Amino acid sequence: MSHKGDFLTLLKSQNCHIQLGAEDLNSGSLPLSASGDAVNHQLEVAEGTTVIAVRYQDGILIAGDRRATAGTSVMYDRAEKVLSIDEYSVLAISGSPAIAYEMARVLEHSFQYFRRSQLQELSVEGKLRMLSRLIRENLPMALQGIGGVIPIFALYDLNHQEDENGGKIYFYDALGAHFENAAFAVSGSGSVWIRGILRYVDRWEGGPLAEMDLQQATRTVLRLLDTASEYDVATSGYNPKSRIFPTAKTITREGIHDLPEQQLDEIYTEFVDVDYA
Amino acid sequence: MLDEPYRWIEAINDRRDYVEDQLRPGSPVVGLNYDEGMLLLTVGGGQRKIFEVHNRTALSAIGHPAYIEQLRMLATDTASVQGFQNSVDDVTLHRLANFVLGPAIKQAFESIFGGAPIIKMLLAELGTLGRENQFISISYDGTVVTNRHAQLIGGTDAIEEAMNQYLAASNSDGGTLDSAARLALETWAVGRDLSLQENDESDPNEADASPADTAQIHDVLKKELKEGQIEAAVLDATRRGNSKFRLLQPEEFENLTADWL
Repeated sequence: MSHKGDFLTLLKSQNCHIQLGAEDLNSGSLPLSASGDAVNHQLEVAEGTTVIAVRYQDGILIAGDRRATAGTSVMYDRAEKVLSIDEYSVLAISGSPAIAYEMARVLEHSFQYFRRSQLQELSVEGKLRMLSRLIRENLPMALQGIGGVIPIFALYDLNHQEDENGGKIYFYDALGAHFENAAFAVSGSGSVWIRGILRYVDRWEGGPLAEMDLQQATRTVLRLLDTASEYDVATSGYNPKSRIFPTAKTITREGIHDLPEQQLDEIYTEFVDVDYA
Repeated sequence: MLDEPYRWIEAINDRRDYVEDQLRPGSPVVGLNYDEGMLLLTVGGGQRKIFEVHNRTALSAIGHPAYIEQLRMLATDTASVQGFQNSVDDVTLHRLANFVLGPAIKQAFESIFGGAPIIKMLLAELGTLGRENQFISISYDGTVVTNRHAQLIGGTDAIEEAMNQYLAASNSDGGTLDSAARLALETWAVGRDLSLQENDESDPNEADASPADTAQIHDVLKKELKEGQIEAAVLDATRRGNSKFRLLQPEEFENLTADWL
């Protein structure tokens, strides 16, 4: 009866198995090739997307493009890659959508189950480890090159006492190790084009990011997503014909807030979609 | 013994008497609708009695803490797994009460060689997708009663009847959270007053079940709130996100009792 608040154990006890490749990992075996030999690929993670999180003066701004691709084909232009997990946590996904969405769903239900069964919120460290566990259990899929997920996890820690900003950003590797980044994190195929720019902005030009207000931070993030879309075919920019904007959310002391399209439109028009001289 | 049917009935009746005796001093719980959601309220001695089960479902109970915990976890586990396997929209109080909790309690009550379920439950579900708000109470014998507007549980049938009379004489639907909480607190006091009288009387049926006046209700509350604390939670339809459950904080009660406590 008692699962000590662990949702995955509860699911197993009810014969409800989630497909994150856990069985292969637990048996200690690697995925098999058609001939039955163990496959030992280089870790190839499909990650056609760009997601970005920055710590600004009130908390975290986290955003992502909307494109979903299969090879060179654009399959969908309204994908949601920035997902609310609970009142103060957001997961920005890059990688295999099937696994990533399932991971987000498991995470959301796990946090809720812990709170409901144990009558207290799961700690920040507990939340981070839960996501680490899901990524680690997905290793066999990642090794096959078809199910890798490298997310950004951002949250606002209400118990944070050191200063007024409890916003925290964490990024993960494919084996589930998590790292906190005080200023920003990027992930996905377009991230290579903008990581360096973010550091430059934060350190010398226009920053530091932590002192930006929401308007400045949004402007920076939208410009960077636009830049990523210029060089990465798997990242979409703003599409004026169908009026599709990136997804952007803030996480502050007041919780999660979706930036409305109208606000994004104004910033795009004024600061991003400018004519070349 | 069980091969003689009247013995089984006798055993069940003994069990009923035993469970009702155990439940008699239980602190009642009142469930009311208000304009933005649903309220569950009781007064307790510190042990939590109102719980979140799922996104739109809350649970409260009187009885033995071990049974409350056992059935709370059964409800939480079942709702969580169903919500994950299918959709959170498929978790309904109707299914939870009639297919899971009710049968489990009935089976325990009628298994006369096992422990008797010393429990009465009150559950609330905030309506969505065409479903209306509903309260469901489940008695120690597994009987399920549904009410869309208000529901309560108390130690005995007489206590519940007196509380229901008080509620019926008041307008219990559609007010603000403050007015619903005030009415719930007064209704609780009516039940508590009768419960205390029953404990004093040698014959519980002789207790005065006539409706209490406001001064009497406030007297009961003044005494009870010296030791006890108000515990209340809402299923708030205006709350952002999927989970609508929220425990009310003590400062939210200050208005309720400020003019007479």
